[in-house]
Amino acid sequence: MTPPSPSQALGGSLLAAAAVAAALVPSFAGDYVVGNLGFRMLEYAALAQAWNLLAGYGGLVALGSGAFIGIGMYGTAKLTLGAGFPLIPALLVGGALAALFALIVSPALFRLRGLYFVIATLVLAEALQIWMFNWNGLGGSDGLFMTNAAPSPSERYYLALAIVAATTLLLAIILRTRLGISLRAIRDNEDAAAQMGLWTFRTKLWAFMIMAFVMGVIGGLQADYLGKIEPGGAFSLQWTVDIVTIAIIGGMGTLWGPLVGSLFVIWLGERLANHPETHVAITGAILILVIRFAPYGIWGLLIRLKDEASGRRRRSRLA
Amino acid sequence: MDWPSGHALATALVTGLLLGGLFTVTALGLSLVFGVMRLINLVHGELLLVGAFFAFELGLHTGLDPLLSLVVIVPVVFLVAYPAERILLGPLIGKGAEAPLMTTFGLSIILVNLFVLVFSADTRSLQASYATDSIQLAGIDIPLIYAISFGFALALTAATHLFLQRTGYGREIRAAAEDAGAAEVLGVNVARAYGITYALGASFAAVGGVLVGLAFGFDPSSGTSWLLTGFAVVVLGGLGSLKGTLVGGLLLGVAESVGASFPQVGDGYRNFIGFMVFLVILAVRPRGLYGRTG
Repeated sequence: MTPPSPSQALGGSLLAAAAVAAALVPSFAGDYVVGNLGFRMLEYAALAQAWNLLAGYGGLVALGSGAFIGIGMYGTAKLTLGAGFPLIPALLVGGALAALFALIVSPALFRLRGLYFVIATLVLAEALQIWMFNWNGLGGSDGLFMTNAAPSPSERYYLALAIVAATTLLLAIILRTRLGISLRAIRDNEDAAAQMGLWTFRTKLWAFMIMAFVMGVIGGLQADYLGKIEPGGAFSLQWTVDIVTIAIIGGMGTLWGPLVGSLFVIWLGERLANHPETHVAITGAILILVIRFAPYGIWGLLIRLKDEASGRRRRSRLA
Repeated sequence: MDWPSGHALATALVTGLLLGGLFTVTALGLSLVFGVMRLINLVHGELLLVGAFFAFELGLHTGLDPLLSLVVIVPVVFLVAYPAERILLGPLIGKGAEAPLMTTFGLSIILVNLFVLVFSADTRSLQASYATDSIQLAGIDIPLIYAISFGFALALTAATHLFLQRTGYGREIRAAAEDAGAAEVLGVNVARAYGITYALGASFAAVGGVLVGLAFGFDPSSGTSWLLTGFAVVVLGGLGSLKGTLVGGLLLGVAESVGASFPQVGDGYRNFIGFMVFLVILAVRPRGLYGRTG
């Protein structure tokens, strides 16, 4: 089964239109919508998009997002605090640190296939969190305060939008290159891909490091927004829970899925803001239904609806 | 380097071994489901908590002793889990590993939040005299509940082994675990075998949850750490090996207790030690100690 997608030209212009629309939001919306709600939607869209590269296109389900986000958070905090870096270079270095961590753990992780890989990533993030709780080098369980003035709501909105746009564009480009083709070949059959002469390790590593980098950058941005970080939040399993639900509900293995998913899940959370537990429980139920009945998520459903509508039009024209 | 005293080391060794029995019980269901269905049951930690909350409520309303209440809890959990598996996971079998995995992920999210809604986020524990008593063994104080858990570990592992080897259902489950497609062709009801496996796994989880509630206490979010401990045990022992799960549990208990008894390490790193042992074993010997080859 191939993922649903609009024709390439249409897909490109649709994405551009969405980016323009998102860029116009701060010109009419209030500070809360821009600096909080919209900002969160964009952050999660970028995170889910990054996860989508590895899981949706590479078939590698990593449940340790908290590790990379947390490293980005602490990296950015340390750089802006101690070394006096401006925010954007600090974000980039934070992302690079997360990617470096991915590089270091990759020889061990990529020895593992399928279910073992899933478990190992989950445990890795959790082990890192426990380490950070106990080790006093970076503030221990108290965490770190950041003294930098956080950017204004519209500044951080545009930063997040830029990261989403760059990530989505990067994915779109990667999917057309040798790397993207190898990645999907590995997803479909790793042994066959290796037999065909593909460098499976190198392909997986690239995707893994790109994911880690984006997650690290978003982590840094979130740290700057919060102004205070501690291991419980930074390395939390909650990151993975949110990212995975957003990517799957939106549509894994499609470029639009993570974007649509973030819009929907964060919007739902806003509607049920006074009942957070109910919100998450409902999200879980939607997740189960989507997995069962809509393998390509909301985005897949939209495309199917559109195809059926245009199919009907064509048929009625013929009649 | 500071070494713990001989007595402290011996205490750590013995309590670690018995605590490992508790680890085994909490991991047994995970191991069974993993081994037979090739499914990482991400809701396993919450199934543990189902047992713990169930025992808590039964104790509150009827005054039933936590361990005695297992007589009620285990059949109820089994009878709910069997149809739940057939309805929620059954249709996804054969659609790749991700769909059922993510479904259990969704179930876990739902249960955690239902626990908070129904029971609040407070930490609770199950009350019984044997939860706090300790016994003397060769001059070493041992928490009685650890010793009880160790007994449960041996009994449940042995009972599961006999069930799988000696009964018709057990034979069907083993066949389904070996090669579901071939078993199906030969007339094995694989869907039913999976349902029974999952329901057994959930029941074992509930037993583990009651022991956890007695020994440590619990809250709606403590499922995750028990899930991770369960992974460590299952992977240490090896996929699809009951003996491995028993040995893996005991080994993990000893490693954590002995590691934490070093003065320069301390108790805060207890879980960290467990996870590091796990990650190293995974990297060096992905099939675990008793894993099947191939």
